[in-house]
Amino acid sequence: MLFFSGFIIFLSCKDPIEEQTNYLFKELSTKQTNIGFANTLKEDKDHSIINYIYFYNGGGVAVGDINNDGLPDLYFVSNQNENKLFLNKGSLKFEDVTKKANVAGNSDWSTGVTMVDINNDGFLDIYVCAVSELLDFKGHNELFINNGDGTFSEESKKYGLDFKGYSTQAYFFDYDKDNDLDVYLVNHAIHTNLSHGKASQRNKRQPLVGDVLLKNESGVFKDVSDFAGIYGGVNSYGLSASISDFNNDGWDDIYVSNDFHEDDYYYINNKNGTFTEQLSKSFSTISRFSMGSDAADINADGFQDIITLDMLPNDEKSLKETEGDDAMLNMQTNLKNLGYKDQFSRNMLQINSGLGYFYETAFYNNISDTDWSWSPLIADFNNDGIQDVFISNGILRRPNSLDFKKYVSSTFKKYGEKEGVNWLFNSINEMPSGSVPNQIFKGTNTKLEDVTGNWIEKKPSLSNGAVYVDLDLDGDLDIVTNNVNTNASILENKTNNKNYLQVLLNYKEGNKEAIGSKLILHHKGKILKKEVYKSRGFISSISSKIHFGLDTVSTIDSLKIVWPNNKVKTLKNIKVNQLLTIDFSDEEKEYSPIKINKEEVFTKADILNYVHKEDRYNDFFNERLIPYKVSTLGPAFAIGDIDKNGFDDIFIGSASGKESGIYLNNGVSFKKSKQEAIEKDVDFEDNDACFFDADNDGDLDLYVASGINENRNNNFEYDRLYINNNSIFTRAKEKIIFNPLNTSTVTSSDFDKDGDTDLFIGNLSNPLNYGEFVNSAVLRNKNGILNADPKYIINSKITQSSFQDINNDGFDDLLIATEWDAPIIFINNNGELQKIEIPKNLNGLWQSITAFDIDNDGDKDIVLGNWGENTKLQKYIENPIYLYFGDFDGNNKKESIIAYKVVDNYYPLNTKDELASQMNIMSKRFVNHKDFALQPIEKVLTEEKLKGAIKRQIDVLSSGYLENNNGSFNKFVKLNSKLQMGPINHFLNLEMDNSSYLLVSGNSEKPSTYHGYYNSLKGFLVKNNTEVKELSALGVEPFNKQIKQTAVVKMKNKNLLFVLANNDSLKTYTFKK
Amino acid sequence: MKNIKIILCFLAIVSCTKEPITVTTKDYHLLVDKLTEVMIHDIFSPPVASRIYAYPNIAAYQVLNNTNGNYASLSSKLNGLNISETILINEKTNKELAALIAYLDVAKELVFSKEKITTFRDSLYNNWEAKNNTEFNLAKKEALKVSSNIISWMNKDQYKETRTMPEFTVYSDDPSRWQPTPPAYMKGIEPHWNKIRTFVLDSAAQFKPIPPPKFSLEKGSDFYNELIDLYNLTNKITEKGNVSEEVAIAQFWDCNPYVAVNKGHFMFASKKITPGAHWIGICKIATQKTNSDFNKTVFAYTKTSIAIADAFISCWDEKYRSNLIRPETLINKYIDENWNPLLQTPPFPEYTSGHSVVSGAASRVLTNIFGDNFQFDDTTEIPYGLPVRSYDSFNKAADEAAISRVYGGIHYNSAVVEGLTQGINVGNFVIDNLQLTK
Repeated sequence: MLFFSGFIIFLSCKDPIEEQTNYLFKELSTKQTNIGFANTLKEDKDHSIINYIYFYNGGGVAVGDINNDGLPDLYFVSNQNENKLFLNKGSLKFEDVTKKANVAGNSDWSTGVTMVDINNDGFLDIYVCAVSELLDFKGHNELFINNGDGTFSEESKKYGLDFKGYSTQAYFFDYDKDNDLDVYLVNHAIHTNLSHGKASQRNKRQPLVGDVLLKNESGVFKDVSDFAGIYGGVNSYGLSASISDFNNDGWDDIYVSNDFHEDDYYYINNKNGTFTEQLSKSFSTISRFSMGSDAADINADGFQDIITLDMLPNDEKSLKETEGDDAMLNMQTNLKNLGYKDQFSRNMLQINSGLGYFYETAFYNNISDTDWSWSPLIADFNNDGIQDVFISNGILRRPNSLDFKKYVSSTFKKYGEKEGVNWLFNSINEMPSGSVPNQIFKGTNTKLEDVTGNWIEKKPSLSNGAVYVDLDLDGDLDIVTNNVNTNASILENKTNNKNYLQVLLNYKEGNKEAIGSKLILHHKGKILKKEVYKSRGFISSISSKIHFGLDTVSTIDSLKIVWPNNKVKTLKNIKVNQLLTIDFSDEEKEYSPIKINKEEVFTKADILNYVHKEDRYNDFFNERLIPYKVSTLGPAFAIGDIDKNGFDDIFIGSASGKESGIYLNNGVSFKKSKQEAIEKDVDFEDNDACFFDADNDGDLDLYVASGINENRNNNFEYDRLYINNNSIFTRAKEKIIFNPLNTSTVTSSDFDKDGDTDLFIGNLSNPLNYGEFVNSAVLRNKNGILNADPKYIINSKITQSSFQDINNDGFDDLLIATEWDAPIIFINNNGELQKIEIPKNLNGLWQSITAFDIDNDGDKDIVLGNWGENTKLQKYIENPIYLYFGDFDGNNKKESIIAYKVVDNYYPLNTKDELASQMNIMSKRFVNHKDFALQPIEKVLTEEKLKGAIKRQIDVLSSGYLENNNGSFNKFVKLNSKLQMGPINHFLNLEMDNSSYLLVSGNSEKPSTYHGYYNSLKGFLVKNNTEVKELSALGVEPFNKQIKQTAVVKMKNKNLLFVLANNDSLKTYTFKK
Repeated sequence: MKNIKIILCFLAIVSCTKEPITVTTKDYHLLVDKLTEVMIHDIFSPPVASRIYAYPNIAAYQVLNNTNGNYASLSSKLNGLNISETILINEKTNKELAALIAYLDVAKELVFSKEKITTFRDSLYNNWEAKNNTEFNLAKKEALKVSSNIISWMNKDQYKETRTMPEFTVYSDDPSRWQPTPPAYMKGIEPHWNKIRTFVLDSAAQFKPIPPPKFSLEKGSDFYNELIDLYNLTNKITEKGNVSEEVAIAQFWDCNPYVAVNKGHFMFASKKITPGAHWIGICKIATQKTNSDFNKTVFAYTKTSIAIADAFISCWDEKYRSNLIRPETLINKYIDENWNPLLQTPPFPEYTSGHSVVSGAASRVLTNIFGDNFQFDDTTEIPYGLPVRSYDSFNKAADEAAISRVYGGIHYNSAVVEGLTQGINVGNFVIDNLQLTK
């Protein structure tokens, strides 16, 4: 007995200590802090998620030193009850002074909050946003002017800031640089039939709903939205904004995050009181349900990046129980028709290239799926000099639960409309909880790393507004969150032994807090850049005190302050671990922005007008479960001097129904050649092409690899050979094998050196049987007849091939890229192709292959383009991803189903509804989504059926190269991280200035809506794996579409670079010979 | 002690004198209603729902009439159906009871939520078994002989095959081609329904309607006139407000199982019965009003549901032949971007109106069974929050159902006029070719 109780004591002592020492952040109890504030929601039938879409969006938190005692104070917003102001008494003790201060607020529904010194009296005022005129909510945005004696007076009307409408948050900044603070108000929309209409509705200002820009005119705020070019339509579901100088021109720009189908807005400041919205120009991929956002230089390159949050769950159960992007197939098309941009439901981490565009990297950084997320805060939490990210999470109930939708659907109509709404309200408890842990990510030199459960406790919560602030003045950033129905969280940062610098700017009258300033810190060749803006994340505002983590740096080389008037002050040799207060002084030096050196190596040319337009065939209407289309492989392209005038001519092959053509090159320009045989074959889909001398008559003939016909007419789906007679091409029948498969690649070489040219043709698929391997072959030329050599028949899914002499023995070797298979390398041994061994576990989604000395050691390596490390599959690739190909529903038709591993089991990638759309039996096997969620693949498809199915796998998604070690290729090395941002479709071997380069292009718009588009690979010129340069810094437009390939054609005086994209116009550039 | 004795005694009596199991039309109506309820839960599209109604009725009918029934056997009268007369010859069989069992046995194969039917079935089984296990077991044995035949015939109607056929492709550059409609933009449902085996019709295209007016947005063209007439008419109705007769008619005959409702943060379907279910409901009213006996009740349900199912196949054949765009899409694009139809546009092409075809067919068959000028109060929609409407005949109800689609803003006039004609043709063909009365 004694022994037993001793044991208990031992246990209960040990556990809490271990917990406390483990986390970087220690959560303080209410008892310790006296912050007894919770955003308590009271739902009734007239006020709930049923009749107000944003009922669970929560309240904000603002931080600022309202009594100028050096200690930051906290203000919390309660949606329905009294807001609270807590004075910081030091040592993390706080006092509720709401009553005395008179700042509880008077609106029925309050949302965001900002502390800002609006009247420049040296005391922070408090601006609280409100939703009014919706349901029976009364009130307006409130401005509590700080009287300097611990009391406040509500004076919003006097300032013209008593806005009435659906306000979310206010963003104070001086957009017109007239030295006073203006404000951008983000307001939200609600669902009406109109708000689901055309995108152009954003041009028509809607009172209450539309965002507004208010200009400060001598202390009174006037609405200048229309003049300034700010959208304010019925569809503007604004949930946050991020103010930042995104283009480094010294003026404040705005990024607005909009929920639902409305695009986000990206406003560039025109420096004349107006803005130009140019989201489409600068962003390829954006969040669908954009919520909170934050702008900061996350990768320390001097350019402001931006993160927007969405609601993609990260646990397997929620993924299968809630509605996701997989359901968007028709909706996406429709939204496009209405004028909206393609958007995807996931967080986006947009990296500013510094070249006028952003590229999206959330998958690469493991930060795409943090569930129902509100505040992202980018800051250095462990003082190691690298930015980290905190994300607040959780929703009281998940309204997108599929079972809930089904439940209400089957019961709602039993009631009349009015009773129905009451019934719906009474059913809200049927909605599953969306309580999920906040997440925190550690910045490293390469990518973000999820340290939730290490830095903070992995504990489900309902946190909305959040701020970081050094509450206890110990030199690290603490975190405060405003929570629904539980007390606000105060997370004390326990970082030790790391250096820091804090800076407080004191600017001129009009903008004392120096909002809009930049701080650029240099040490040992590194740059840390911060901007002073108050409202960040979601409905919350931070202190204007800027915090730099400095790791072990003991003196700072220099600190540049760019004041709001764009004058620069530079301080040198600054001591660390201090709070530096810098007063404004007139400076001479003008701000000179950090810029990326642009060199015009390539000059845009309009030498040939061609637009590749895809046909209407949609793979997903026919094979619903495949991961991506196999029908959009064009355009086809071939180069060769047909007319023997010394200049290479070209063939461009189009999608089915669109004419392909031969364009003759006279050295200066191109002219389309009249070719009746080719015109006649307009119904063929051209995937690839190759000029070669088929009949050994000394001129170039043409082989065209055919893809999938728009109407699946088999008569237009086999490959063709055209014979050249004095530059007129005619179809040759029966000279080549009949190949009705979906051919992806054709390449030629006289590999056997018998004096005629042979071919390799690679097939990707048998249409409608995605998971099936198909045969491809070397076609040996015998007297102009090309027949498959049975020695070289390959059963796989081939995407690309190339004859190249890797080992400089004068014989062309054959390189083949495959999907769901490993790359296939044939070394040519005196005319005999011999398949060589490559490292194990290299099955991938290989899209491209070439030979190039990428490790700069004098021999050619085999460079391989895969899907890269920035796709939705990335998080699963630590284990093989499987593809099961079999008839799982017994209808004599095989399905292709992908499964990935989470913890111990393999789960189907598809949702229940997707599976049921192809296999009716799924609706019967799993009636509810919760029955389906977390069912391993063996349960979903049954063990028995799986046994009879073919199983394929992918081991690697990274692009990389096989290192040439004295002719053996036994080591796989990953390519530079820049080259992992999207699928690589093509490597162009390019000679320029006596150096060899690889021009790397790619992206993919083939994937299903589950994936979305992968368009973050903007194009690179690669000298070797460390010297990787953005093509957009060399005069080439960033690659925003799915690039098929690039090519070089030599002209009389210069070279011509062709950029061929699927479903886009041809782009050409000239460059020096 | 005394009490226990009494109970024991009572038990003994029960087990000794087995009461016969009596089955009434009420029991049959209960099954049909149960099936409707499960179908609403599972959300089946109108054509699929019509198939689900037909087969269980056929099974029940066949149990009653396979051998020596009041009505003619369906064997060799329905496409592909052949059931030997030698099954179900045990004359001791309680045929009414067996009909119920066969109904449930087929119904459970058709829905997703199979367990909802089997749970319901098992509680009935328990009751019957307790009442008279000998009678029940015989009925069950005989019933399942018939239902297994029906199920294997049913499984050959191409339904399974059509599940995995390609989806309807939305072409963005053909202005006349159907496009998904707000607010849910669902894909076009059942594009291959014309491949389903018909019950009585020779083929899906047997009563192919004349093509719709040629698509044109030129003022004065027939097509444009219909479009603008619809626009003006619906605006007039909207002006009159919710109390107008047209609104009442449109709402009464909505019968859209898919209406998407936008409440708060989410969108869901507010389910209703399908057009087929509405006419099945009217059939029930007619059998009750005429005090039809069990045999006639099953006969009426069976013939009506067969006509409805064939009507859907005929209609869907035309829908995906003409692939015509809905008025909502055109009006929003070219005339008034803020216009909304009174009813939600259902997710399939416009021509012809499904409700018109089905109403035409069902009303003719019901008239044939119960006579013309059959006055009735239509209470079918009460469970879905709508009032009672009264009609002087089935045909008049069908006329109103048809025009309701124009009032609702989801069909042009031609679709309704030609749709009704198409339905009447189907109905008359079923009447003429499915002579079941002896």
